[in-house]
Amino acid sequence: MSEAVERYVNNGDALFLGGFVQQEPFAAAHEIMRQGKRDLTISKCAGMSLVDQMIGAGVIKHLITSFTWNPLPAAAHCFVRSLTQEIPHRIEVEEYSLLALNLAYFAGSLDLPYVATKTMLGSGFDWEQNDSGAKNRLKFEQSPFTGERVCLVPPIKHDVGIIQVQRSDPYGNAQAWGMLGENRYGLQSCERIIICAEEIVDTDIVMRDPNRTLVPAFRVHAVVEEPWGGHPHPMAGYYDMDWLYFAYYERETHTEELFQAFLRKWVYGVQDRKEYLRLLGAKRLESLQPEPFISEPVSYGRLTRHFEV
Amino acid sequence: MNKRGESATAVEQMIVSASRLIKDGSVLMVGTQWPVIVSLLAKSLHAPDIAICFEGGAVLNRIPDRVPFFTGDPVVNAHCVLLGNSLDTLGITLHGGKADMALLSAASVDRYGNINTTCVGDYTSPKIRLAGSGGACDFGSLAPKTIIIVEHDKRRFPEKVDFITTPGYLWGKDSRAAAGLRPETGPYAVVTTLGLFHFDEQGEMILAAHHPSASVREVSENVQWDLKVDSNVKALVPPSEKELETLRYQLDPEGMYLRSARLLKGIKISV
Repeated sequence: MSEAVERYVNNGDALFLGGFVQQEPFAAAHEIMRQGKRDLTISKCAGMSLVDQMIGAGVIKHLITSFTWNPLPAAAHCFVRSLTQEIPHRIEVEEYSLLALNLAYFAGSLDLPYVATKTMLGSGFDWEQNDSGAKNRLKFEQSPFTGERVCLVPPIKHDVGIIQVQRSDPYGNAQAWGMLGENRYGLQSCERIIICAEEIVDTDIVMRDPNRTLVPAFRVHAVVEEPWGGHPHPMAGYYDMDWLYFAYYERETHTEELFQAFLRKWVYGVQDRKEYLRLLGAKRLESLQPEPFISEPVSYGRLTRHFEV
Repeated sequence: MNKRGESATAVEQMIVSASRLIKDGSVLMVGTQWPVIVSLLAKSLHAPDIAICFEGGAVLNRIPDRVPFFTGDPVVNAHCVLLGNSLDTLGITLHGGKADMALLSAASVDRYGNINTTCVGDYTSPKIRLAGSGGACDFGSLAPKTIIIVEHDKRRFPEKVDFITTPGYLWGKDSRAAAGLRPETGPYAVVTTLGLFHFDEQGEMILAAHHPSASVREVSENVQWDLKVDSNVKALVPPSEKELETLRYQLDPEGMYLRSARLLKGIKISV
C-alpha cells in the first residue's frame, strides 16, 4: 500500500475516492494521511468519516462532494470545523447533487463535453436563479432541442482513483458487488487507478463471472491486497458496517484536541493496516462477519462446437 | 420500549400518517432517516407491492432482517431485486420519470416546501454546517410527488430557508416552472410530529390535519410565518393497533427510530 500511494499519489493531485458506503478505501486514505500528502482535491459523492478524517489531517485543499456526514445522525466534526472555524484550514467546497455528481463522472469517463439535466434547477446550486454563494462549475442554458431551461454538468476528471473491492486478479481485473453508487464512472474518469482488494484471485475466477467486473486491468496501475481495508465501512459478504465505530468517532473527534489524539492512535500510531487491525482486536473483527448468503452459480455457456458449413 | 397498548407517540403518529400516503404498487425514491421506516411500514401493511429505491442503486423488495439505519446500510444487500449504480435509481428510475413518489427527511422546510440540509446562516460563512444534498435535491427536483417527513420544531420551519438544498415551490408555484423544473413535480405533503400539510394553488404549505393531541393553534404557533389552514382541517386518525404493533415489535424492536437519538446515545462503546 505504501508503495502504491508513494508512487501514484502526488501532492496537488485530484483524487477520486470510490465507495458509496460500501467499498470505501479507508486503508488507502490512512496511508495518504501517514505520508502527509498535501493540497489534494478529493472527489467523493458520499464524504463520510473517511473524508472527515482527511480534512482534519489537513491533506485536503478542495473537496468535490454531494454530502459529508458521520454517517450516523451526527455531524462530521472536522468538516464542520474547517468551514465554520477554519481548523486546520478552510477547505474549498464544490458541491453538487448526488445525481449531478454521478453525471459529472459519467461525462468525465466518456470524455463528453457536458451532460444536460433537469435536476438542481432553482436550488441553491443554481447560481443563475439563486444568489446563494455556492461555487460550482454548472452552466444553465436553453435546450437547443426543446427550448426548455437545462442545467449543464461539466465532465469531472481525476489524476488518481482509489477503491477497495472484494476481489481482483494480480493484474487489476477488479470485481465488486453490493451497492455500487458512483464507482463505475468515478473510477473510469481517472488517469491512474489503484485497486485495493480483500482478496487476490486467479484471472480464471474473474473470467467465470465477468459481469461482476468493475474495471478491467488495462486501466489499472496498482493492485494492493488489503484485507479489511474498508473498515469501519462494510464490504458485502466480508464484513458489516462497524456501528460502534461511528458513535466512538463522533465522541472522540468533537474537539480538535480529541481528534488529534484519535489520529495519533488510529492513523499515525500504526504502520499499516495489519497493525490497525491488531489494535482493533480479533474479537471485534469476528463480530462484524456476516452469515453467508450465497448466490446460485450461473453459466455463461462455453461454445466449443465449430460450424459445419 | 413502549408497552403494549400504550397510545401512539408523536413520532409514531408521524410515521404512520406518512406511510398511509403511500399507494400500493408505486415506485418510491426513499431517502435516509424517517423515509426508511415509513416505507417499510407501508410495505409491511397496506402496500406490499411498492418498489423501494435508494440513491446508491438499490431496489429493496423485502423487509430486511434488521431495520436499516440509513439507505446505505449493508443489511439491504441481501433483500434487493436490484443492486446497481446510482445512475440506475437516481438516473434511470427518477430522472427517467419512472418513480411515482419520493420521501425525504429535512433539517428545515419553508413556506413553499423548500428544504435546507446544507447550512444555517450564509453559505460562504455558515454558523452551522450540515451534510448537504446527497440525492435530496434530485428527489425534490424530479419526483412527481415529494413527501417531506420532519420532527416539528419552530426553528425547523422558517419563512424562507437559508439555503435551498432541495427545491420545493421556490418563491411560489410559477417560479418552479420558470426555473425549468418539470411540470407535475414538486412537494405533495409535509408530515411532522404536529400535523400534516398539503400545498395550495400558489404552492404554499397549508395545514390539512393536526395530530390528535395538538391543536391548530399549537401548529400555527410553531412555524415562523402566518400559516394557512384548510377550511376542512381535522384531526389525524390515530395509528391502529396493527400499525403500532408492526412498527414497535416487528420493524423497530430496538427503538432505533422510535426512541430518538438511540443510535448515538444508546450504543455502548468498547474500543
